[in-house]
This record gives sequence, C-alpha cells and structure tokens, in this order.
Amino acid sequence: MNGLMEEIMKRNLWSSLVITLLLVSSAYGVKVGESAPEFQATDSNGHVQKLSVNRGKFVVLEWHNNGCPYTEKHYESRNMQRLQNEWTSKGVVWFTVISSAPGQQGYVTAQQENEYLKQMGASPTAALLDPQGDVGRLYSAKTTPHMFVVNPAGVLIYDGAIDSKPTTDQADIPSAKNYVSQALEEAIAGKPVSTPTSRPYGCSVKYAH
Amino acid sequence: MLNRSCIRWPGVFFACAVWLVIPVFGSPKSPADEHVQLELISEQNAVVPGKELWFGIRIDLQDGWHTYWTNPGDSGEAARIDWHLPAGYEAGAIQWPYPERLSTPPFADYGYEHQVLLMAPVRPPAQLKDGETQKIAARVRYLVCRDVCIPGQKQLELTLRVNSAAPASPAGELFRATRARLPVPAPPSWKISAASMGDEFVLDLKSGKLAKTPLFLPLHAEQIETAPQVASALPGGVRLHLKKSKHLLKPIPRLEGVVVFASGKAYVVNVPVSQSGKGSHTQ
Repeated sequence: MNGLMEEIMKRNLWSSLVITLLLVSSAYGVKVGESAPEFQATDSNGHVQKLSVNRGKFVVLEWHNNGCPYTEKHYESRNMQRLQNEWTSKGVVWFTVISSAPGQQGYVTAQQENEYLKQMGASPTAALLDPQGDVGRLYSAKTTPHMFVVNPAGVLIYDGAIDSKPTTDQADIPSAKNYVSQALEEAIAGKPVSTPTSRPYGCSVKYAH
Repeated sequence: MLNRSCIRWPGVFFACAVWLVIPVFGSPKSPADEHVQLELISEQNAVVPGKELWFGIRIDLQDGWHTYWTNPGDSGEAARIDWHLPAGYEAGAIQWPYPERLSTPPFADYGYEHQVLLMAPVRPPAQLKDGETQKIAARVRYLVCRDVCIPGQKQLELTLRVNSAAPASPAGELFRATRARLPVPAPPSWKISAASMGDEFVLDLKSGKLAKTPLFLPLHAEQIETAPQVASALPGGVRLHLKKSKHLLKPIPRLEGVVVFASGKAYVVNVPVSQSGKGSHTQ
C-alpha cells in the first residue's frame, strides 16, 4: 500500500515537474531585450551551426516551410531572396530554419533543401535542418515565416512578423513595412528598434506531435 | 440558356465551346475548392426598400479543415469580404460568431470547423421600385487549414427582386442559429472589470452566481497569449488570469473580446483596463 502510494506520489511529482518544465519552456520562449538562447543545428551542407560563433555579427532567423502559402508569398515574389542578398552582403548572418517534422509539410532532406535553394535563387548563410523542432521550440517559433533578429552582443532585438501585412497576397509586399529590415537599419544606425516585436503571421510551424 | 442555343444552332457550336472555356479563366478553380464550399446567401428572398437585410457567406468545410475567427490566434488569417453592391447600398461589418479554440499545444488558433455563416447587415436605399432586380456580389478571400493551409478567393453573387413585402427565405434558419452564437452585451447587473497586473491581465466577471469557467477570446491577436487560461473563484463570479502576449508593446486602454460560457452563451467584453489595480504595476 505504502509502496503504491509512494509510486503514485512519485509519478505525480514527475508529471507535475514535466508539466512545469513544459510550461516554462513554452510560456515565452525568448524575449526581446534578453540574450538570444544558444542553439546548435546541422545545416543542409552538413555543417554544424551555432549561434554563439556569430557573436559580433547581426543574425537573422527565418522560420521556413516551402509548402506554406505565406512562405511562398515571400519566395515567389523574390522578396525573401532580396532580403537575404541585401543583408548577407552587409555582413549579416542569415539562418533559414526548417522545423517541419518528417512527414509534415515543409520537411526536407539536406539534398532537397539545397535543390530548393538553388531553384529559388535563395542565399541564406545556411539553412538549418531542425526536424526535431528543438530550435523552433527554444525560440517558440509559431509561424512560417517567423523572424528573429539577434544583435552583435547576442541580444534578441526583434521577434515577430516579416512585415506589416499579414496576408498571402504578393501584391501587399510593396506597401508593407518590413520589420526585419527596419530593425536591422535602426540597430546598425545605433537607434533603438522602433518595432521590436509584432504578431508573427503565417502557417503554424509543423512540429512533430 | 447556353446549351439551348448551342443545340438550336449547331453552326455556332465553336462559339459555344469558347464561351464554355472563358469562365475557367475568369474564375480559376482554387486548390482550396476541394476542401471548402462558399455560398452567398440572403436571409430574405427579396429586398425591402430602405430596410436592413442580412447577407451571409456560408462556408462549408470538409472534415478536419478549419477557417478563422477575426482574431485567428497563433497562426492563420481571418476571411475578408469585399462587397460589390448596387448604388446607394451600405454594408456593415461581419458579425463573427464565437469560435472554437483549436489547440495544437503549445499553440492554439481560434476558428471554425464544419460550417460557419459570416453574416453582415446591408441597408438598401429607400427609393427602389418593386420588381427591380438587384445584384449583390462579394469577393471573399479566405484561408483554410488542416495540417496544411490553402488560401482561396471566391467571387460570389446573388440576385434578388425588390418587394415591399418580403417573406423570409429558407436560409432564415441558418441565420437564426448563427445569431445564437453571436456575442451579446452582458446583462446590466453584471460587473465586469479588467486590470493589468505584471505579466497578466485579470478579468473579473461578477454575474451574481458562480459560473462554470468561461473562456475569454481577445479581439486583438497581439494582446493575450492563446495559452489555457487560469480561473479563480470570486464572490459572485470568476476571475480569469490572462497572460499578456510577448508581442504586446504598450499598455492597452481597454480589454476587448468575447467571453464564452459552458452553456454556449457568449457576451461582449469591452472594459477599461485599470493600470493601477491592487498589487499591479503598469507594463
């Protein structure tokens, strides 16, 4: 009887501990103004990429799913490629992160991702493969796209939407305010970021269930 | 009409064939069509001059698919309706029935499965002649999702005649059922108040009796996390603890949304947010 009670209590303790950990990790993920959490992930060329190695540079994180209509909006219009080009040419590190689980929309092998990058003319610094969703959950990435900007000191300075028009319509891009470019321009000019966060818009990230 | 003229004059068959092809270009079939059907319906089967009438976009979704509330939650997008009405008509805003909380932990969306009617009031001008036909058209842009999302858009139209004594149309039942899901103002005897306390808003609902835990659905996406809400009992009511969204940048003057009870009753919440509640501090 005692053994059983002990077992039940132990189980309850464990499950509440697990629940607490889940709640803590999912509550906010990351917060603008705080240190961006360290991560490590393998890119589509087999290299291990770490956030901390890029200290001293701005880093952009772009959550990606090649089948999501919101991602397609920014790739078929070449808006994303333009941003990647512009900012990497200025020394910014750009990581495209794919957190789709195997079998889910947007999941790709390294080879498929390299073909996609070539076909789309995309030029991120690296495309990180995150099929377990570890980096995604660490950052509480909600949507594709969901954008983050980390400053050279490793502090998160932007968390949110790519721009101000939450639609799938490419025609909305020219008149939208691009929050990533705005954050980078302002931070590079030594100004505070005027929109440090916004509600990200898009498809839900297709995490493993 | 088209078929008949094709049969009557075989010589114009080619012209008919072209005619049949044109609509394919004019209104391309969307991949979303497989999973969702949209129809523009009217509550009444005629227009009464000067008298408000209700139109609705009926959205029928295949099992497993959903579309979104005005605040879609963590992902997705609400449908948009652009009305194309005859001169002198005025359309009001969509009246959103309260949605379901569609949860995929740790995230959640607010939306509808199976069927929803997005209804809006339209006021025709007072000077209309009985018997005239009126074309009501709407362009609907929407998103449907299951494990994947598909955007769609549809051009819908409906023709009604002007009739000063309009009987109800068969669609009336769906409008009535949908009205039962529209949030209504809370009874005047209720006390509703909100305060900003640290990283949460607290919403106090005092109806005089202890209600089963309600769900608060914020009208604006960037204010409150979609996480499950914690409730605590208050004398004569309930307090909901609403975690502030990390995307909320400044204090909000009012808390706007809908509170849904287990009974299926939904009430409008639109109250000022006290920034200096007991033990609270402003953002």
